[in-house]
Amino acid sequence: MGFATRDILDDRQRSPGHEMTQRADEPSDEQLMTNLDEPGVEAALSKLYDRYSRTVFGVGLRILGDRSMAEELVQEVFLKVWRSSRTFDSARGSFSTWLYRVTRSVALDLYRKRAHRVRPVSDGDPYVGSARDPSAGPQEVVDESWLSWRVSRALEVLDVPHREVIDLAYFGGLSQREISERTGVPLGTVKTRTASAYKSLRKELTVQGTSREVIR
Amino acid sequence: MKCAEIHPNVAAFALGGLESEEAAEIRHHLTSCTGCQSELEELEKVNRVLEAAPPPAAPPAYLKGEILSRIRAEQLSPSNKEGTEESSSLEVQRRSHRTSRFNRFKELRIVLPSTAAAALVAMIALGVFFGFLREETPVATIQLIPTPQETVGLKGYWGVAEIRPQPAGNQQVELKLNNFEEPKPSSYYELWFVSGDKRISAGSFTSVGKGETRVLLNVPPEASNYHTLLITEEHVGKGPAPSREVALKGDMP
Repeated sequence: MGFATRDILDDRQRSPGHEMTQRADEPSDEQLMTNLDEPGVEAALSKLYDRYSRTVFGVGLRILGDRSMAEELVQEVFLKVWRSSRTFDSARGSFSTWLYRVTRSVALDLYRKRAHRVRPVSDGDPYVGSARDPSAGPQEVVDESWLSWRVSRALEVLDVPHREVIDLAYFGGLSQREISERTGVPLGTVKTRTASAYKSLRKELTVQGTSREVIR
Repeated sequence: MKCAEIHPNVAAFALGGLESEEAAEIRHHLTSCTGCQSELEELEKVNRVLEAAPPPAAPPAYLKGEILSRIRAEQLSPSNKEGTEESSSLEVQRRSHRTSRFNRFKELRIVLPSTAAAALVAMIALGVFFGFLREETPVATIQLIPTPQETVGLKGYWGVAEIRPQPAGNQQVELKLNNFEEPKPSSYYELWFVSGDKRISAGSFTSVGKGETRVLLNVPPEASNYHTLLITEEHVGKGPAPSREVALKGDMP
């Protein structure tokens, strides 16, 4: 895939109103990393977890194809964030890039350790069934994870109503009318939100000139 | 032709979310509007990128609490944090102000020769079992990990044993077990203090599975010479001999 570090989406460019949105008066990821020493460790790690656990979990599902392994990945990744916080240097890249590398490394270790146990799981959650085919080798498994990470971060910065229409339409396969019926939101509003969500996604994925690389 | 504003249904059409009549209408519009055609091409690029998106799922709510609990437990063993080995003695001193008396001894062990460390451990053991360190906080904290060693990190459960001195030389053992699976039917767990082939039972218990199980047990003063803790799964009616089914193990630091 080969995307340069400079192409990372800037997580500070979040839409207002989103539950995961980092408000201007909230510490940045990098500032929180400096607090991962006692006594502020729990508050700082808790905030980083709120911001990134869905991305780590989702990318884990995609790489590992197994919910329990993805849960273990989340646990090991955030423990490693705490244990290795001194190795993070904000001058060398964003926290998101560093966390992606940690996630990929831990996922690869888990994949190798448990290759014999990897299997696709669909435990009633239709989305999990879309996790990748685990028959691919470890390197193939992580090759596309960087793009997954970036797309996940772009989705995370959408506010809740816009994220919801994308989840229900793209991942859930619902029509605009079905989304309207399920959410109780007028059909016209659903369409407007869909158009707006696409616009935001396109903007997020094309910041810093990434369009030619990511969107092709 | 190029319409003044992008048709409001183009995005929904790109997602395939329109009813058949609406879809036919926008399809017809696209044949003559270059502006909406360009918009559709851009939206289809976003669609292709979305194929790489992970499934929109969140980790279970309890996971964050588990991670923070593990950090709390590992803070009692500062060597787990990367870079500790390279820490200066000043760093060791700085951290020691925040740790218990017991952990202060543990940190000193990093810089003392092994013989002195062994003596220190012996002193700690004496302190633990003869009760001169009488305080509410535990005087010894033992990490309990799944056995055999190669399964560590795979089984998903772990525990901590905290030892506190009691009157008359007895020791209270508080077990904090996380996600420790429930015993099989007609079975229970038993905590042992072990030295070589000798064992002292500290009592039996069951667990709750997901979440934290806390158990309070007591051992007699004689356990002071037994430095390994084992939790075994025992079967009802199998007699007093311990089984070989070891679930968790920990050694006195």
